[in-house]
Amino acid sequence: MGEIELNIGPVHPATHGVLRLKARVEKDTVLGGDVEIGYLHRAMEKIAEQRLFNSFFPNVDKLEYVSALNWEILYASVLEKALGIDIPPRAKYIRVILAEIQRIMSHLIFIGAFGQDLGNITVFTWALRERELLMDIVEKISGGRLAPMYLRVGGTEYDLPEGFDSMILPVLDRLEEKVNKDYKAVTYENSLFKMRTKGVGVLTRDTVKKYGITGPNMRASGIERDLRRSEPYFVYDSLDFDIPVEDAGDSYARFMVRIREIQESIKILRQAVRALPKGNYINKQPWMFKIPPTEAFVRQECPRGEGAMFLVTDGGMKAYRLKIRSPSFYTVQAMPEIIKGARVADLFTIIASLDPVMGEVDR
Amino acid sequence: MDLERFRERFGDKVKIDKNILTLADKKDLIRVVKFVSKYFDVLYMLIVVHRPPKFELNYIFSRYQDQEIIQIKVEISDKENIASISNVFKSAEWEEREAYDMFGIVFRDHPDLRRILLPEDWPGHPMRKDFVVTEEIKHWTGLDLKF
Repeated sequence: MGEIELNIGPVHPATHGVLRLKARVEKDTVLGGDVEIGYLHRAMEKIAEQRLFNSFFPNVDKLEYVSALNWEILYASVLEKALGIDIPPRAKYIRVILAEIQRIMSHLIFIGAFGQDLGNITVFTWALRERELLMDIVEKISGGRLAPMYLRVGGTEYDLPEGFDSMILPVLDRLEEKVNKDYKAVTYENSLFKMRTKGVGVLTRDTVKKYGITGPNMRASGIERDLRRSEPYFVYDSLDFDIPVEDAGDSYARFMVRIREIQESIKILRQAVRALPKGNYINKQPWMFKIPPTEAFVRQECPRGEGAMFLVTDGGMKAYRLKIRSPSFYTVQAMPEIIKGARVADLFTIIASLDPVMGEVDR
Repeated sequence: MDLERFRERFGDKVKIDKNILTLADKKDLIRVVKFVSKYFDVLYMLIVVHRPPKFELNYIFSRYQDQEIIQIKVEISDKENIASISNVFKSAEWEEREAYDMFGIVFRDHPDLRRILLPEDWPGHPMRKDFVVTEEIKHWTGLDLKF
């Protein structure tokens, strides 16, 4: 039997959105492939040029629907940098709390989807159950669930609700117990799970550097780098947390990095909730404002890697150009190289372990 | 990183302001980028800004051992083409395809210059400032339908 072309996607339950993969296959070995993206392109950068700065927040939510708050924070930060304003300490803490809640939620989705792709439906339902607890908290804070629209230039729309710490601390305890015990049993200490993931889809350090891959995928390949630590924004420099790093670079390592990142995020949340200062939560800005001609570049650690925005203004009330750097875009670009030599049955493990979100890739 | 190295090497061909290098001539791009590749790992972002009748290309490079970034700015007329840097920095391949897709900039010697986000038969390059969003464009389906 010779070489055949195997088309996967764009609409396929295991491609996490609308990713199209054209793999060249011989027997059950993947020889190479080509990735096609753009099926979820919604012209976000063009819309940014046609809307008032504040009116673009709802769109940022839909840009990356699994970690909406991280991108909202990033967009608010780039506007603040262009305006040259500072935000009150309470707002900084609130943003750290939101970013970490969203990071845990995003990694839980990853764990669930990864389990589902391996045929382990149990962990899928468990992960969504735990995510629901945090989702309720986001709902109590902002009124929204997937698309909170909570951030504003200068701070946040509302203050945190009364008794926020008594709301979140029990959830964190429960989450920690589940991740450390239950998830361990069905995923990372489970022999079947290990067989399916260990040594599968190895991402070498050279490939990471060649393609500009960042975030958990990079840290699973042995590169220790985290913008929260090395370029601390908000109050990350006053918080104590570790950066999980694994050396193997395979699907198992990528899973473990995310599990340990959840544990670190829980640690950060406990500290941030304890240290949350009282006072003003927003440096109030008018709804419509102009930004003098300038360029602003901000990057932050999003759950999928380093997200960045580059804003060019011309003195008007709308952006002249807003470029969004999506970390998944670079990961997907490297996919043909990662799948080379893999088995067809492992293909979905590899795609799932890279955790691309197509809304962010296609923008 | 010490940007004096660039001044020594390229003299008045580059203008240095903080970490932004502005190239006087687009012909020097490949030489400068090759020099950048000694110190930086990856093309972090490529930002194209259309200021009619010119394109401003901002290449941001980053490296993994620390947080240094360097921004290289080059201006071309919006009818000209420019050399591709994808044989120096692999991650530029898709970024340049995106710039071609959105702005219609032709990158010379690019291995695979096709549209990336938009369909192949999309009319025009939508991020250009002279692109007019007509009713026809709003309802574009790629099929021969009438609304």
